[in-house]
Amino acid sequence: MIDIIYRTGHFLLITVFAMALGLLFMGIARKIIARIQKRYGPPVYQPYLDVLKLFGKDAITHGFIFDFGAIMALGGVIATLFFIPLGSWQLYSMEGTVLLVIYLLAVASLGMAMGTVGSGNPQASLGISRALTQMLGYELPYLVILFALIFRYQTSSIWGLMQAQAGNYLNWNLFAYPLMALVAFVVLIGMMGKKPFDAMIAPSEIGSGPVVESGGKYLGMLLLQKSITIIIELALYVNLFLGGAENILIFTLKMLIVWVLATMFGSLFPRFRIEDGVKFFWKWPLGIAILQALYIII
Amino acid sequence: MLTNYILIPFIAALAAYILNKSNKKAGAVVTALVSGYLLLSLAALYGRWDLKESFNFNLLGYQLEFLLAINPLSWLFAVMTAAISLLIALFSIQSQSDFKFSAAFNLNFLLIIGSIIGIVFARDFLTLFIFWELMTWTSFYLISAGKKKMAGKAAYRYLILSAGAAYAFLMASIYIFQQTGSFAFDSAAEFLLANSPAQSILLLAAVSLPFIVKAGIFPLHIWVKDAHGNAPKEFSPFLSGMMLKVGIYGLLVVFYQLSFFQIIENTVAYRGLPLLSYLFALLGAVTIITGTILAIRQEDMKKLIAYSSISQMGYIIIGIAIATPLGFSGSMLHLMNHLVFKSTIFLALAAVIYRTGTTKMYEMGGLIFKMPLTFAAYLTAIIALAGIPPTNGFISKWVIYQALIEEGFLFLALAAFFGSIASFMYVFKPLSTVFLGQLKPQHQDIKEVPLLMKIPMLVLIGIIVLFGVFPGIQMNIISQISGYLGIETVNYSLYSIQGAFGAWNSLYIFNIFSAGFVIALLIFGFAKKSKLVGLLDTYSSGEYVTDAESYHYAYQYYRPFDRVFDNLAAKSLTGFYETLTNNLVRTGEGLRRTLASGKLQNYALYSVLLFVILAAVGWII
Repeated sequence: MIDIIYRTGHFLLITVFAMALGLLFMGIARKIIARIQKRYGPPVYQPYLDVLKLFGKDAITHGFIFDFGAIMALGGVIATLFFIPLGSWQLYSMEGTVLLVIYLLAVASLGMAMGTVGSGNPQASLGISRALTQMLGYELPYLVILFALIFRYQTSSIWGLMQAQAGNYLNWNLFAYPLMALVAFVVLIGMMGKKPFDAMIAPSEIGSGPVVESGGKYLGMLLLQKSITIIIELALYVNLFLGGAENILIFTLKMLIVWVLATMFGSLFPRFRIEDGVKFFWKWPLGIAILQALYIII
Repeated sequence: MLTNYILIPFIAALAAYILNKSNKKAGAVVTALVSGYLLLSLAALYGRWDLKESFNFNLLGYQLEFLLAINPLSWLFAVMTAAISLLIALFSIQSQSDFKFSAAFNLNFLLIIGSIIGIVFARDFLTLFIFWELMTWTSFYLISAGKKKMAGKAAYRYLILSAGAAYAFLMASIYIFQQTGSFAFDSAAEFLLANSPAQSILLLAAVSLPFIVKAGIFPLHIWVKDAHGNAPKEFSPFLSGMMLKVGIYGLLVVFYQLSFFQIIENTVAYRGLPLLSYLFALLGAVTIITGTILAIRQEDMKKLIAYSSISQMGYIIIGIAIATPLGFSGSMLHLMNHLVFKSTIFLALAAVIYRTGTTKMYEMGGLIFKMPLTFAAYLTAIIALAGIPPTNGFISKWVIYQALIEEGFLFLALAAFFGSIASFMYVFKPLSTVFLGQLKPQHQDIKEVPLLMKIPMLVLIGIIVLFGVFPGIQMNIISQISGYLGIETVNYSLYSIQGAFGAWNSLYIFNIFSAGFVIALLIFGFAKKSKLVGLLDTYSSGEYVTDAESYHYAYQYYRPFDRVFDNLAAKSLTGFYETLTNNLVRTGEGLRRTLASGKLQNYALYSVLLFVILAAVGWII
């Protein structure tokens, strides 16, 4: 009984922490982009206000699949979060988690896609069609990198891959395999839908694509989903390439550095057309990843 | 004893044909009853791996022996056949009126069931060949019974490929018979092992040709799309779910019982795998990639899923070809899971076709509110197909990935990753265009399918979830098959599988999943209640929308992606084969015109030349 209460508390704590941190990161990103564009920008705590406001508003729904999609999107990322080691916090140290996490993230994508397309708005369908196409672009190099890492360290658990880089900071995969870290960084930008790879949300073109019909609590839930997704993806990067961390503070700091860099890189480039984005991913990141993987397996 | 399993469907086929004349539904009821009986009695045979039967015939001085026996592998395939035919027959009771020749449909369906059971029990080439041909011909009839105009052409292509491959099979097995005096697998295996490796490999390649055609492996996959897309909607689940797998069964027989793997064991190897096996696995990889790219381009939902079947078969091929314990278990798992989720998908689509009468995705939309259960079946099945946890499809793909990473097969893994990520794209297309989006005005009055069609879909949903949580049920029979074929078994328990780099534990995953969903549900539930509005009441950038039909994004759903592969897809393999045929015909025509133009002098010249050649040969010898 005590164990269940402890575990539930732990679940809730990690969920709330990831949501709060993700929203904070989003606020920081808005500030950075504003400064790059020589604007003042909203306050850093603006996303918190947004979420609070959205949950207080009236919302419209387009049927049960619209509701179900939102729940599946948020539920999927929360479930994924429990498999990620955040510093010393780790709920399920089960092995085999790297591939699992990649596929678990797809649950959330599928939920979001289903819900928004269920609204009957063709702009949402258009956005989803682009998002899935782009996913094929960036997941391939990422999975090749994971292939190489798993083969190199003979473990597929994120915890194990993190432990393998322990000791000196020169053991970090960032320094051991810099090309791989670079590819993963580009993939990370694509995963998070940041600037050169944001054709699927393209606000001025297809009305923000997937979220076009979401308002009120639906948009609020999707914002929370987005914030947790950011944390998951950054945490994966930190665990795989920056050697994880001893405690949550250093871990957060590392995530923040990666996030700020990704935001800054993202805001420098104009948007890719969707097929050009895919071609880019298959040309450079995938090419480099395959070469690196070949080097490791031979 | 074993003959009963073959004879009963054959006798029932006649009964179904006669009964069907008086009552249209009777034939399907007979099919359902017979397959139900087969399922139960086969289940009772579990564990009795020593059953054998043989018949001797003396034909024109040749001593012919027909051998039947049961082993874990053939038991699994027989049970799968019986189970899926039971569900399909149940489903088809209501839709018999859609058939032009429903009596013939049931006759052929029962004949196929009997012949597949015959194939898996066969222990010699002759029995295998007889039942194999019976299956090919009856399924040819069933495919061409589809209502579409294309169905005839599709069946024709299927028949040509099957017949060509069957000749190769027959030649090789008769050659082996001449050498050994027996058609039995055991004596053939002995002979092939003792023979020179090059010749054995050639013989086995000829033997495995019909299986490769039936399994739809690149480059002999061209019949699959048209045959599966145009076959009657009730038969497509069987065609895609089961008949492709019979090809895999044949390959397993060639690889293990005819000792193909033993023959090539000491040949040139790549990363410890004989080069021929690796090339075969590469064929699987190419199959995955072609099937996937072509599936994404399709506008016809049945053809889309047919291409997806091609690509999923690639996974099974890869797992079998690399022949590690994990690879073998993974592909056997995937074989069973593919049967389950692919028949679910095809049954859900059959339900849609039953109500709407079309297979073109852009002619539908918004069916979710009219057919929620069909949608649920489709959704569950595609989650499994895309390999998303916690369904059975993820487990089998996960095991195959582990096997590939363990051995370091980068390019095979790349194809496997590609196929799995891209499968999100093609399975989402029917979901989005058929079930979601705007409802077409002409579909306003559509209802959910009748109860007898719902039951098979519900059962299959249950099986997908069951296998997703308890893969141990499947691993139990797989470990017996591995033991029988002499492969090391993988460690497993009821809900976990031991991989190369860690274990899979579905109970954990299931619990955590539930936890995540409960938290999301709580957030949703505690927030303000929302107001329901219609599907046309959406943000349309200020456009005034009244017409649901034109407000649905369905045609060329992945156009940007398709543009990347336009050049490649234009050079289709079908086109290549057609050009080849045309060139062959033209060359023949040209030769006929020059050589046999009707001039008497030419024929005189040929006779002289022939005489000279014969004389020269005679002189040399």
